[in-house]
Amino acid sequence: MVDSVSPPKINSELGAPVQRALAKPAHLARFAAFRDSILFLVLCGVWVFFYFATNGTFLTQRNLILLALQTSIVSLAAISAVMLIVTRNFDLSVGSAVAFVGVILALLTVKYDVNPWISVVAALGGGVAMGIWQGLWVARIGISSFIVTLAGMLYFRGFSMIATNGATVAPLPDALTDLATGFLSPALSIGLIVIFLSGYLALRIFELNRSRSLGLTNEFGADLFSVTFPAAMTAVVAIWIVSRQGIPYLVLLVAICAIAAELLMRRTRYGARLYAIGGNPEAARLSGINVKRVIFWNFVIAGFGYGVTGVALTARVSGAIGGTAGLFLELDAIAAAIIGGTSLSGGRGRVVGALLGALLMGSLNNGMSLMNVPTFYQNTARGVVLLLAVAIDHIGRARRAGR
Amino acid sequence: MTGNVAPAGSAEVADPRFSRWAIVASNLTKYFPGVRALDDVSVSIYAGEIAALLGQNGAGKSTLIQVMSGLHPAGSYSGRIELGGRDYRPADTAAAEQAGVVLVPQEVSVVPQMSVAENICLNAEPTRWGLIDVGLRLAKARAALRDFGLEVDPRREMGSLDLATQQLIVIARALSKNLKLLILDEPTAALTEKESLRLFDRIRTLKARGVASIFVSHRLSEVFSISDRVIVMRDGRIRGDHVANEVSRADVVTEMLGHARGETRSRSARRECDAALEVRRLTVFDESAERRVKVDGLSMAVAKGEVVGLFGLLGAGCIEAALAIYGAWRGVVDAEIAVLGEPVSIADPQQAIALGLGLMAQDRRDCLVQDQSILDNMMMATIAKGVSIQSLDVAERRRVAISLMKKLRIKAESVDAEMRTLSGGNQQKVQIGRWLAAGAQILILVDPTRGVDVGARGEINRIWSRLSESGHAILIASSDAEELVDVCHRVIVMRNGRKVGELSGATLTEKELLRIATDG
Repeated sequence: MVDSVSPPKINSELGAPVQRALAKPAHLARFAAFRDSILFLVLCGVWVFFYFATNGTFLTQRNLILLALQTSIVSLAAISAVMLIVTRNFDLSVGSAVAFVGVILALLTVKYDVNPWISVVAALGGGVAMGIWQGLWVARIGISSFIVTLAGMLYFRGFSMIATNGATVAPLPDALTDLATGFLSPALSIGLIVIFLSGYLALRIFELNRSRSLGLTNEFGADLFSVTFPAAMTAVVAIWIVSRQGIPYLVLLVAICAIAAELLMRRTRYGARLYAIGGNPEAARLSGINVKRVIFWNFVIAGFGYGVTGVALTARVSGAIGGTAGLFLELDAIAAAIIGGTSLSGGRGRVVGALLGALLMGSLNNGMSLMNVPTFYQNTARGVVLLLAVAIDHIGRARRAGR
Repeated sequence: MTGNVAPAGSAEVADPRFSRWAIVASNLTKYFPGVRALDDVSVSIYAGEIAALLGQNGAGKSTLIQVMSGLHPAGSYSGRIELGGRDYRPADTAAAEQAGVVLVPQEVSVVPQMSVAENICLNAEPTRWGLIDVGLRLAKARAALRDFGLEVDPRREMGSLDLATQQLIVIARALSKNLKLLILDEPTAALTEKESLRLFDRIRTLKARGVASIFVSHRLSEVFSISDRVIVMRDGRIRGDHVANEVSRADVVTEMLGHARGETRSRSARRECDAALEVRRLTVFDESAERRVKVDGLSMAVAKGEVVGLFGLLGAGCIEAALAIYGAWRGVVDAEIAVLGEPVSIADPQQAIALGLGLMAQDRRDCLVQDQSILDNMMMATIAKGVSIQSLDVAERRRVAISLMKKLRIKAESVDAEMRTLSGGNQQKVQIGRWLAAGAQILILVDPTRGVDVGARGEINRIWSRLSESGHAILIASSDAEELVDVCHRVIVMRNGRKVGELSGATLTEKELLRIATDG
């Protein structure tokens, strides 16, 4: 073995130059975060506009909870959309797959009287099976995901219609409906937010501390502040929103899925592989990444996403409607991911951004409904927002690249 | 289109002295934000002259040829240019081509799915009644090819031709215009010596027609074999302007570097060591056709601490052999491979990496993610190993990347800098860093300094010797004889997929390598 060039030893030679090399990254990191904050500012602007346009109705605790509920299904779908688009894959089958999962759940509980919880497990299993099926076609046989999921969009919808004969299967048992309409009590909700906040801060402080012990940073105080402040502000706003009704179970589900996905993408080897493959598949292959296997698991995870989204959607409307459930959900999910900064050419994208994107689109729907704007205008407005959001991102990136 | 390019007889030129110049540029100065890319550059080329433009990356060569070819419009720089005795102020490349100046860029830009004829007439298709006149297009293409002495069927698909032929076709396309000055940006970077000779042969026929040529190159031997003039740039200025046979290579290198080049490393005697990598009877088949053999029964070994070269002209099988050993070749491979004495089978890059191998591929675009950071690119081979859901040690990754960046002297703002902002040499160093971070002990390199400027080239070559001294085994597959002679202990020569010779010690010279590789 050669010690002089293997990484652990080199580092002992490190000294002052590393500190200097680090002065810049902080700037760069802030600059990268700027993109998300543009979206955040746009969202704030939209909220302030609706606050005045609806005489304050928009920014009430009740309406914000409603907004979060309305956005939850798209948010769930957008999480797996980000993971797939980051590796240059598309999923057009989300809406149909979600409808089919709903049909499985509704048929088992309503028609065959199966225990609700066993039915939920079966529905999740059905979603995973659909993910495995599509993953095999994309990763093993090598057909483009666009085609595989376009086909899936057609036949999953077909299965839903065949299994239900086009009829609505309802109502679901109360145990399941409660899942979608229930709330955690305000006291428990606040406790939970505090736990989430402490968990987040503990992780970041642990990481910062490690950076410091490895000699990577000497601005511990400033770094700590830049981590703590936004998190604490978010927590304060969240506590205010939930202080009356508490957190809906559905929103809690979105939060848990988002945190899990964010950790998977940003803090595991699997996530790093996703970004590498999206950035340059050939480079990833030559670096020893098993591209096919990673893509296969990507679809399996997406399949689990169908399961969760399908159960949530079906429980929320208390029944399965084979023909229209989840219609155009895939497009909303992709739009949310794109607005949230996910690059269609792969290698770039965050779950947090997609959630903000979904929230922006949801806010437009909610606010315009409060203003009694007709549906036709709402769709038009959403289309314009999608185009503008992507244009701002594109121009911003081009300007940065040109510097 | 012959005859109309020699300015000597042109009626509108009054002063016979200027009529001999193809292009006269005086006092060109051009700024980019924060940089003076051209600093009072004056240069003139005779009609029919072949001028080589040399300089390290960032010396201003690209800017100069871009100004001449209209990529930077007139007005974005100060100074004046005369073409054939007349004021020349192109607004864009189309205007420049109209005036008779054509730039052939480094990357061959063709549409591989279209035919040769379609490519030649691209955006200038002959039409009849508003529809493309297919017959006339074919005839025009055939005439253009014949005129340049190319024996290619214009109906063939562009992508089915080799790179050199594609490049010649691109030049043939340029010729079908009223040409006064042909500018070639590193035309031979992707070509083998033999193909380069073909290209230069064609350029000489242009010379006979009075067309002036400027070509940018990093290969000194070809510069001296073909050019009439050698122009050296550094830091945006002309540092040397010589008649080619009146100046020595050493002087030119000194002018490029700004200081005298150190003595070439004296080859240290290889220490007797165990074989790190042994390959027996390596046979590699073509990706598409199983019958076509790319490498035929190659056997060789690389010891710990040894740098072994694999030399051959393009198509000799060196690149294929290197990729096959690493498990990255997409076709069928048959071989007995042993790593550190243990027989192994390597079916894909994952297995190769697990055994301590690392690969730097021929094209940097294949190995690097251009819009991700240095850190992400360096850590790419380490994330491939281990359990998927294992959490990343974010701080440790950063620490390793920073230390490697310092160790390898990578010039960049920080480890978060995007890959695309780095020069070729620094990008190669990031690849080296990737394999050091992954702990690779056996490095397989394919053309590691292709498109890297002279200064960085020397630095990278020194990294190989440092790594070999610390026990790494290094195999370099390359068609650059100069580089292999500089860094290798031993060079295996291949021709037509077979090993045809092995040189080491005093017999290892550029001349001898080329002789064995080309001789039948």
